[in-house]
Amino acid sequence: MPFLTYPLALLAAAALPALAAIYILRNRYRRREVSSLMLWQFAVLSREGGAKVNKLQLPLVFFLELLALALLVTAATGPRWQLPAHARPLVVILDDSASMLASQSSAGSLPAVSPRTKAAAALEDLLKSRKFLSIRLVLAGPKPRVLGSAVTTATEVREAIAQWTCQAPAAALDAAVALANDLGGAQSQLLVLTDHASPGSEFTGNRIQWWAFGATHPNLAFVNATRTTHGESDRVLLEVANYSASASASAAYRITSGSNLLRSATLTLEPRARQRLFLNLPAGTPAIEATLAADALAADNRVTLLPAVRKRIRVQNSLEDAVVRSHVDKALDSTGLRSSLSAAPEIILHNASATPAGTNAWGLRLLTDTTNLAAHTGPFIVDTAHPLARGLALDGVVWTAAAPGTNQFGLPIVTAGNTPLLSATEDALGRQQITLHLIPDRSTLTATPNWPILFWNLLTWRARETPGLVESNFRLGSEVAVRALTNSAQLKLPSGTTRTLTKSAEEFVLEPETTGLHTVSAGASTWQFTVNLLAPEESDLATAKAGKWGEWERPEETRREYSSVLWLFVLSALVVMVTHLFLVTHSKGRV
Amino acid sequence: MTLREHLLSGEALGQRYALAVPQTALAGATGNQLGRRAGTSIDFQDYREYQPGDDLRTIDWNVFARTDRLTIKLFREEVNPHLDLVLDASRSMDLENSPKSAATLRLAALLGTAAENGHCTHATWLAGDGFQRAANDTMLPSAWDGLAFTSRRPLDEAFAILPPRLRRLGIRVLISDLMWPVEPLTILRRLADGAAAVFVVQLLAQADTEPPEHGNIQLVDSETGEEREIFVDATVAAQFRAALARHRESWDAACRQTGARFVSIVAEKLDASLPALEEAQLLVPA
Repeated sequence: MPFLTYPLALLAAAALPALAAIYILRNRYRRREVSSLMLWQFAVLSREGGAKVNKLQLPLVFFLELLALALLVTAATGPRWQLPAHARPLVVILDDSASMLASQSSAGSLPAVSPRTKAAAALEDLLKSRKFLSIRLVLAGPKPRVLGSAVTTATEVREAIAQWTCQAPAAALDAAVALANDLGGAQSQLLVLTDHASPGSEFTGNRIQWWAFGATHPNLAFVNATRTTHGESDRVLLEVANYSASASASAAYRITSGSNLLRSATLTLEPRARQRLFLNLPAGTPAIEATLAADALAADNRVTLLPAVRKRIRVQNSLEDAVVRSHVDKALDSTGLRSSLSAAPEIILHNASATPAGTNAWGLRLLTDTTNLAAHTGPFIVDTAHPLARGLALDGVVWTAAAPGTNQFGLPIVTAGNTPLLSATEDALGRQQITLHLIPDRSTLTATPNWPILFWNLLTWRARETPGLVESNFRLGSEVAVRALTNSAQLKLPSGTTRTLTKSAEEFVLEPETTGLHTVSAGASTWQFTVNLLAPEESDLATAKAGKWGEWERPEETRREYSSVLWLFVLSALVVMVTHLFLVTHSKGRV
Repeated sequence: MTLREHLLSGEALGQRYALAVPQTALAGATGNQLGRRAGTSIDFQDYREYQPGDDLRTIDWNVFARTDRLTIKLFREEVNPHLDLVLDASRSMDLENSPKSAATLRLAALLGTAAENGHCTHATWLAGDGFQRAANDTMLPSAWDGLAFTSRRPLDEAFAILPPRLRRLGIRVLISDLMWPVEPLTILRRLADGAAAVFVVQLLAQADTEPPEHGNIQLVDSETGEEREIFVDATVAAQFRAALARHRESWDAACRQTGARFVSIVAEKLDASLPALEEAQLLVPA
């Protein structure tokens, strides 16, 4: 009780009955001279007639004085109010990873209850039992994301967490907590809703509560799935993992293509073991689907793989030297990325000083000038970040080339000392003009794997610059780049909804958030790609935990939520006293 | 404002009025108004037979020649009507924090001036320890003196000690708050005895008519100094108003019984109350 904790206020409270006693017991008669008392005889008669109980007559100023005293006494207790403006904001971090949907649905008869469902219910209970200044939601996927604006009611929170779909391949909880901390400020309270244990003591402070609702379940999952070109056929790799803590498991899988069953078998996997499956498919086989029997997590039991993208480049080999031309043709054919010249070439290999005009082709100029020749054996300086330099290992290579003196061929990719050996530059039309300084018959480059690698890099680079996708099968969370000539493109999601893509540089870059078949439309062109979960960390439910870590409140901090409203009572008392003064001075003694 | 200023104010106010003289008041000493009786004016009034003692100068000898009977010729008498102004000089007429005494002086001066305008003589009596005339009371009111409201005796005691020598057939006006316990008829009969007309003007202060605000009040009698403590509430206030109404009613009834006119006015509203005096036929526009 406030009064008992403030003895002085308790003493001051005694002024209230004292004031009342003064008013009741005092005999303050106002003197008034009258012409005669003859007209007041009745009053005397009334009093003399016997005891008469008169209604207690208290003037207005008495009540004002009583009110002022009560306000001052209350102010003396140091009143504090749990003002909404001073309550703390709450920031909730929602684990958006796929493991939040795990449930033992097939094992029991009870309805499946996923960690997400439990977490949402716990959040609702919390909001019912406690009020917060504001509530913000942060979705912890691969990158933390703020879910809408700040809300205040449980209903608004319920609407907002409808976007909590738990389809992310990972949950960057650390980054989400950091974002929530920045978002809520120093006074905010953070709540993490996840299915994993608190990572350590840094989350057990007095501002963060970590609530985990996970449960350990055995789970079989696809953790890898690729479909790549392999000559004229497609090669499929599937990897199945048994994320069971102790028991070995039998994984029954099916691979279908439309209504055609391609393979159906059962794998026996030791605990925490993986097994790969290979499948060769004829080129032109449509999308295939691999499924596992239902278990705790449904999202990792299904994989869809579209045919691998086959981009072939039309190369015109115009090199003058027949031997060299032959070396180049062999290298080009080995890549499997060269197509016949059915249309205008996309790459022209030549010895001319200028790129052949009137084409949209990139040019690779082979400079075989024999003046100032130098045989370089290294060390070679390679720009390994350049698309042409990927995989090049030039140790031991003898690279003979003429020293050009000054670099007039663009950005050097491979140099020996200050001698550029391989350079590239982009001309005004956006075409890459590559210059290769090489005397093939005095070098060993053409006899090393670097030679076909160089041309594989060249054709792959060129293929990436053509419209469309580079791949057709992606992991959830990976970046998808679509090259198109148009400035706008539409993405159709597996759910059927469509959204517009924004172009970044020459590409539309997107990060799919859901698994399934996606379609990109740009002008008349349409490309499809599929996204699969393939997240071993999410499929591994053996590490899921349930529990609560951390506390929000300490007694000394709870008090900070209460703000002093002393000023309010003092101000009110002043107003009352001013009113009292006004009444006393303007009423001519009538009050 | 001083006594003189109040009298001058009343005198200025009275310039607009004249005293309304009733027919019964047209008697008295020789003056400049025609009386209701035969007198010595030049205005013929009537004939009558000669009676022993009649002035022989009034015998109409022409009538005697024609009828051989002694007939005297009566003329209208010329009289000066008289106003006796009786002022209650008790202390209650000088109630503190009220314009009661000023209003009394102004009203007295007004009536004195109106009497002058009505060619009436006038006298001003102060009821204190007996009745005494104010100094210079036959002159214009601004010359009056000795008007003090200091007496602690009520009017009936003043009558007992030294009654006023009021002019027969004069107009008598009593100005008082009537705030003392007395049977009105005892006063009115003495005033009305031999009077041509009696007017009772009850002059009250606003404070006399309205009870104090709620609360504990210590009432002090302005004349006796007697104190009384009462608690005023709505009931007491209503009782006070009823007592005042009864008091006025008793005076009004007594006045009607004696042929006097009763007018009650409030000091703070004196100027606005003058039409009431006209209605009572005490004043007429000059």
